[in-house]
Parts: sequence; C-alpha cells; structure tokens
Amino acid sequence: MLGRGVKRKWSCLEELEAEVVAEATITEEKEQSGKDGQEDEAGLLIDPSKSVMSHLQQRQRVLGLCLEKLQRYQAGMELSLRRSVLLINTLRQIQEEIRSDGVGTCTSDSRLSISAVHADDSCLLRDDFREDVPVTCPGCAEGDGESLSLSPPLSPEFPSQEAIDFPDQQKSLPAAAISTFSDAVNAMGYLSDLALDDIFEDIDTSMYETSDLPSAWATGSLWPVSVSLWPDEDVKLRSSSHSSTGSLQSCLVDLNDLDHIMEILVKS
Amino acid sequence: MAGVAGGNDFQWCFSQVKGAIDEDVAEADIISTVEFNYSGELLATGDKGGRVVIFQHEQESKNRPHLRGEYNVYSTFQSHEPEFDYLKSLEIEEKINKIRWLPQQNAAHFLLSTNDKTIKLWKISERDKRAEGYNLKDEDGRLRDPFRITSLRVCLAVPQTCLILSMTLCDNFSKIDCCTFQVPVLMPMDLMVEASPRRIFANAHTYHINSISVNSDHETYLSADDLRINLWHLEITDRSFNIVDIKPANMEELTEVITAAECHPHQCNVFVYSSSKGTIRLCDMRAAALCDRHSKFFEEPEDPSSRSFFSEIISSISDVKFSHSGRYMMTRDYLSVKVWDLNMENRPVETYQVHEYLRSKLCSLYENDCIFDKFECCWNGSDSAIMTGSYNNFFRMFDRNTRRDITLEASRESSKPRATLKPRKVSTGGKRKKDEISVDSLDFNKKILHTAWHPKDNVIAVAATNNLYIFQDKIN
Repeated sequence: MLGRGVKRKWSCLEELEAEVVAEATITEEKEQSGKDGQEDEAGLLIDPSKSVMSHLQQRQRVLGLCLEKLQRYQAGMELSLRRSVLLINTLRQIQEEIRSDGVGTCTSDSRLSISAVHADDSCLLRDDFREDVPVTCPGCAEGDGESLSLSPPLSPEFPSQEAIDFPDQQKSLPAAAISTFSDAVNAMGYLSDLALDDIFEDIDTSMYETSDLPSAWATGSLWPVSVSLWPDEDVKLRSSSHSSTGSLQSCLVDLNDLDHIMEILVKS
Repeated sequence: MAGVAGGNDFQWCFSQVKGAIDEDVAEADIISTVEFNYSGELLATGDKGGRVVIFQHEQESKNRPHLRGEYNVYSTFQSHEPEFDYLKSLEIEEKINKIRWLPQQNAAHFLLSTNDKTIKLWKISERDKRAEGYNLKDEDGRLRDPFRITSLRVCLAVPQTCLILSMTLCDNFSKIDCCTFQVPVLMPMDLMVEASPRRIFANAHTYHINSISVNSDHETYLSADDLRINLWHLEITDRSFNIVDIKPANMEELTEVITAAECHPHQCNVFVYSSSKGTIRLCDMRAAALCDRHSKFFEEPEDPSSRSFFSEIISSISDVKFSHSGRYMMTRDYLSVKVWDLNMENRPVETYQVHEYLRSKLCSLYENDCIFDKFECCWNGSDSAIMTGSYNNFFRMFDRNTRRDITLEASRESSKPRATLKPRKVSTGGKRKKDEISVDSLDFNKKILHTAWHPKDNVIAVAATNNLYIFQDKIN
C-alpha cells in the first residue's frame, strides 16, 4: 500500500500504476464502503489521508484510461458517438474535481495526476513556453475548426501544417492538441454534415504522417487540451469574434493554468 | 400466467440451440438482434455479417403432443452489405442493429432490418407451386417460333384443345397451323421461401442508427440515431420527417445522445426515447412537428452516496421497451432494470438489480470496455415477467407479481433435450457455496445482450455470441 503524502519520482510512476491496477478492487471497495472515505458503514474510521489517496489513485487511473481510450480513436479505431460522449463527460468530471481540489497548490498528488497522464510529454517541458501566446490560434483563425475532422489519421497533420505557416511553435501546440481532441470529440460523425469540409478537401496532408510528428502532438498534447475543456467565461468572451461555426473555443487555452502546469513539470 | 421461478411455476428447459459449436467464433456469426414476430410463429435473428436468419415454428407432431414444435430455418438472406463512405473515409458496418416485424396482412411476411445507416423492408414470401405448360416450347422441347406463339389461330381440328380466340391479325394467316394453345397449369413444387427487398430507406441518418420501431398505425415507423429521430412512411423512401433533433449548434457542447426509441403500442402519436444520461422523454407528435420539447420527462434522482466516476456511464440507458398493455415501460441501464409507470415521472415503480455484484468492479469493467455493453430487455406476453441478459452467458428473469427472480445459463453443458435449467447463483460474499460461481470467475466475453420472449407462449430465445438458444417451459 502506498504511503501517505510521499512525493513520487517519475520513475515510480509505472510501479504506481501497476500497484493501482492490482489494488483496484480494494480501493474501489473502500470507495464504495464509505462516504468520501471518512467512515465505513461499520463505523470504523478509515484513515482520511489513505482514503483520499485511494480516491486520487482511482481518479488518476480513470483519467489515464479516459485519455487512452480517446487516443485510440486517433490510432484509427472508430469510437461510437455514445462512447465518446461518455468518455468526455467522465473526463470533464475528473478535471473539475482536480481543479477544485488543487487550484494553485502544488502538491505531490496533483503532480502525480498530471504526470501520470503521459510518460513522454517531454515536449511540454519547453522553457520557452510563454504566457503571451496570442489569443487566436491558427485553427480558429481559419474560421473553421471542424475542417480538422477529415479523418482520424489525417487530422493531427492539419494543425501541423498551420505550424509550418506560423513560426511560433507555441501557438501550434495548443492547436494540434485541440485539434486532436476535437477529432476525438467529433468522432467522425459530429460535424460530418458541414459543407465546410469541402473547402479543405484538396489540402495535401500526405507528408504529415502521424509517425513523423513529435510525440507531443500525437500523445502528449492532449493534456493541455483537457485543461481547456471547461467552459471558461474569459475564453468565450475572447472567442466571440470568431466565426459562428462554433470553432474551437476550447482551443483558447486557459493560459494561467497551462503556465502553472508548466512550472510544476519543469520543477519536477 | 404463473411465475418464472421453480416450484409450482414454470420450469425452463432446454429446447434447441442454433449455431456452430466451434470454439473459434467468426466475428460475422455473432448474433446482433433477435425478434419474434407478432404471432410468435417466426423468429428472426440478425448477425454482424449482415445476414438475417428466420426460423419458423413447426406444428406439434400428433405423435408427441407434449412436445412443443421446434423452430427450424425458414429463410436466410443477406440483408446488408458493408459499404464505404468516401466522404469520411469510413466503413459502414453491415451489422444488423435491429429487426422489427410488421403485422401480417397477407400471406407474405414483412420485416424491417437496419444497420448503422440504412433501413430495408424485406418481404418474405412462400412459393410452393410452379406454373407449367407455358406455350414456349414444342412438345419435343424445341423453342417455338415466337411468331407462332403470338398469333393465335383457332384450331378446329383438335376440339379437345382449349381454344382462345385472339384478335391479333397476321399476314400469314392463310396457313392454318395446328398450334395448340394451352393455359399453363399450377403444379406443386418444393417449398421455396423468397426474401426480396421491397423498400430501401437510405441517406437519412448522419449518425449511427440504434433503434427502429413500427407504429401502431402500421403505416409509419421511426428510426433513431445518436442525435436525431426520423418518422417514415413505409411506402415512401425518398423522404422522412425529422421529429427529434438534439444536436447542439456547437458540437463541443454535446453531452448527451439518444440511445433507444420506441413507439407506443397503441397510441400512434406517442413515442419515447432514452438518453445516455439515464433519462427518458415521452413525446406527443400531435403537439408539434418537431418534438424537441417532451411531454413527459422520466428521471430518477441520483443517490448521492453511490456517486462515482462511473455514475453517468452506468446510468446510460441501453434499451427501452413498452409493456404490451402500453401502461408501463421498462428501461435497462448497466446494472439494473427499471419499470416505469407512464403516469409517474419522478421515479420508477419497480427496480430490479441484474448484477449488483459488479458495482465494486466498475473500474476494471471500465478498463476492458465492458461497462459500455448495451444489454436489451424484454417483457413476456402478459407483462407479468421481464428478462434481460448478463455476463458468463447468464440471463435473468424477474416475476413482477411474486418479486422472485432467477438466474439461468445458456450453455452447451446444460443443452440436453428437455433438460430443466438449473438456477445459477453468483457468490458475492467471502464464502462461496457449492455450485455458486465467484465474481472473479465470470467470463466477461460471454455476454447475453439480446433476448426475446414469445408474444403468447412461454418460449424464449437467448442469443449467446454466435449461438441462439431456445428454451421453453415444461408442460406437465
């Protein structure tokens, strides 16, 4: 069983996940047996920090599974709309919980939950990530984020093309992140009836195969996206000038959160 | 009808099993839908390979009246083929999602079958006679000169021949041919069952069709996909009415999808649809052309003490079925079956736990995707009992009157003719009794998603992967 409040190094992650998998049943039963783990029905007190830990373990495991399943979509396996919606709702629920738990606090647990998501998101540790990322990302500037939903393998490459056009790499990162997520959201059927797809049919994205992309775009980039999923009032206000096709409002990343996360990761 | 459990009540016994016995199951053979017709004489199954197999109930033999007749293959046809959507670079599966029979109006049988995108109306008709004696060949088998066939000549020399006078004039009429014209005769032949597609209802659904339901007016039917419900007329294929549309303007705001829909069995203006959030909406088509505003909204308040990350997923309703009386409806979510009174929206009148022992395993079931399995449920003919499937090839029946329930298994081991099925039990506590099976030993790959109950008799059809089991009660 894991100790309480112990800082986890990066290398311990896999052990942690293995332990979590092995003890899933136990933690789940503890979850079910008590209200927030304070007491079980027999009245025995469960150590609050232990139960919080197990709740966090489960949360982070579910978060990882959520993203993994959504990523499978990128690998070409089609997700049904029902499943996508259920996964995304679960993801949102977890994110809200994480946000309400640890806003502004840099605890080892929040570090765990963040770092547990992707093992190889080294690209996120860029020192040059700046706060003054322009509000409009290339995807939105095009006025049609839905065009990214051409097909699962192609979609991550579309924003990468934008990255070539715009030398500022930081802009393209959220765009790529958002686009890959939007494709998971769009799940190949969401926006299929939009005629705007036709505009982008002739873009040759054959050069930008997934395997050529930096790992961040394929795997690590989802994290900033999930932060930006919340209905953020500021984001909506800023994006009100965009086209009415409902393009990627969520791609306007909550910059303060991202910056904060970057600090955490860089420090670890 | 008496109850479903043992004792004085019915005892379920094995009748038949259809399908291959191989351990290696071909994906295309997995049964994806099961449905009795209105009389129960026919039983249709659809599979992932797009095929429909119809079984017909043979009459009881006079020698052994205590045995109910058996279901034998009546017709097999390929309903849907795989297609490719070029615009989205996606394959459209040929898997049959649902089959619904139309009420029989003449000698032929009609059913609707649907895959993700296209609904087809099939006519299944019998042919047991063949016309013989067409005047196309001579007596020695040579094909006749068409000229000689079309121009009929009165043959006076052979008075026994049936004469038909034709008004057709012919230039060579001067020649008198002994062309005998016979009326074709119907001769018996081996029974041939033909299935032909009579209507194809295509291109009306952007998302995947999950339900079809024939209306009580027998002229219209509805089809539902993840975000929209359309109303069709059975005769008209080039247009349909959209009656429900829950697609948001901004797709990123989407949080709920339609999971099932059904027409009311008696009121042709009423239908219900269920959602992934565990709610059911009842709509009246008389109220407005677009039924986005429901007439009734059924939702059970959530129990805050059982809230978890998976609460929403397990509340997602996978099937909704009206009772035959039309007074109740039944919904199936991941762990339970609920019976609702249409007059009470705030909670179900009955809740039956199907496999509550899985609640502590939800995280593992989420990991292996089993938590997304969509189980169906069904009523018996008198609405006194309900049935639904579970894992390990178990299926459950609940008697609404006696409140008793029973768990049975569809397996080859218990497939001896007329062998009574033994009730099964899953042990949840620490101690496992003999003949009980522990939760960890359950085979989650053996899932019973589709079951059907004969509309009149106590005969049930249970689809276990690629096998179809038929069970009936033991008549004393």
